[in-house]
Amino acid sequence: MSTSNLHKWALLPDPTPSELSRATAGDAEAFKLIVERYQGMVYSVAYNVLGNFTDAEDAAQEAFLRCYRKLPQYRSEATFSTWLFRLALSSTIDYQRREKRRPDPVETPELVDGTAPQLGEGISAATLTAALHDLPEDYRVPTVLRDIYGLPYQEIADLTGRPLGTVKVMVHRGRASLRLRLRAERED
Amino acid sequence: MDCSYFRERINRYIDGELGYLEVAELQGHLSFCADCAEELAHTGEVRGALAAWGRAELAAPPGFAERVMAAVEAEPLPGSPRPLGRAVNDALDRLDEILGRIPLPGGRTIPVKNVLGAGIAAAAVIIQLERRHLRRARELKPL
Repeated sequence: MSTSNLHKWALLPDPTPSELSRATAGDAEAFKLIVERYQGMVYSVAYNVLGNFTDAEDAAQEAFLRCYRKLPQYRSEATFSTWLFRLALSSTIDYQRREKRRPDPVETPELVDGTAPQLGEGISAATLTAALHDLPEDYRVPTVLRDIYGLPYQEIADLTGRPLGTVKVMVHRGRASLRLRLRAERED
Repeated sequence: MDCSYFRERINRYIDGELGYLEVAELQGHLSFCADCAEELAHTGEVRGALAAWGRAELAAPPGFAERVMAAVEAEPLPGSPRPLGRAVNDALDRLDEILGRIPLPGGRTIPVKNVLGAGIAAAAVIIQLERRHLRRARELKPL
C-alpha cells in the first residue's frame, strides 16, 4: 500500500524516445504533448500538497518549467512518469516553503472523467478535501505525502527538512484530526 | 493497561512498524477494548480514503497547457547555456541528487548546497575581514 499511488502514475504511457528527444531539442509541440498528457498528475500533486487552486496552478506551472530545463538530465532508469512525479513533488514542496500561501475558499476540485474514487462510506470528495483544507499546514503536508502518495517517512523528512520523529507525530496528528472531522460530518 | 499506551501504537500498527510481540499485545487489548478497536477502524478508514483520493486525477484548469507553453517559449532551449545563477543552482541541485543530504543531530537533514552556500559566504566574510586587517596594518606601519 505504501507506494500504490506512485505505481498508479507509473502506469501512464511514457513519451516515446523520439518524442523525448524532440522535446529535449526544444520542439515546443513535442513538449506540449508531455504537458497535456501529465498535467492532471502534476496539478493533482500540487493541489493536494498546497490545498488551493491558485497556488496549485502556479506550482504546477513551475514544475513543468523545471521539467523542461531538466529534460537533458532524464535517464531511462526510472519511467518518465515516476521521474516527473518526483520532480513535481519536490518542486511543489519548494514552492510551499518559499511562497506565502494565499487564503482560498474551500472548493471541490473537478476530476478527470472516470477517475472518481470510492472513498468509503459517508466520505465524499467534498468532505475529504474540506477536511484536508482545514488541517494546519504542518500536519497537512506530511499527511498528504504519507497517506495520499505513500512516501516513506524518511523521504518525507528529507523533502520537508524536518526530523523523522516530528514527521511521524505530524502524520499521526493529521490522521487524528481528519478522523474526528469526518466522524463529525457523518454524525451531522 | 492505560488506553493511551495502545492509542500511540495504533498508528505504528497501521504503518506496519510494530514487531510481532507488539502486534500480539495490541490485538489482545483490542479484543476487549471497544474504544481502541473503533479508533483503529476509523483511522484505517481515513487512511483508505486518502489513498483512494491519491488515485483520483484532478482536472487542470482550462487553458493550463497553453499557459505553460507560453512560459516555456520564454525559456532558453533545454541544455543550452543558462544564466549564471540558474546554472549554479542546477549544478548544486545535481550535487544534492548525487550526495544526498547531510544528517544533523536530532534527525534533521539539510541539502549539501545549503552547507556549501554557508561555507562560501563565511569564506567571503573572512577574506574581507582579513583584507581590511592587512590594509589597516599597512596604513599604521611606521615610516
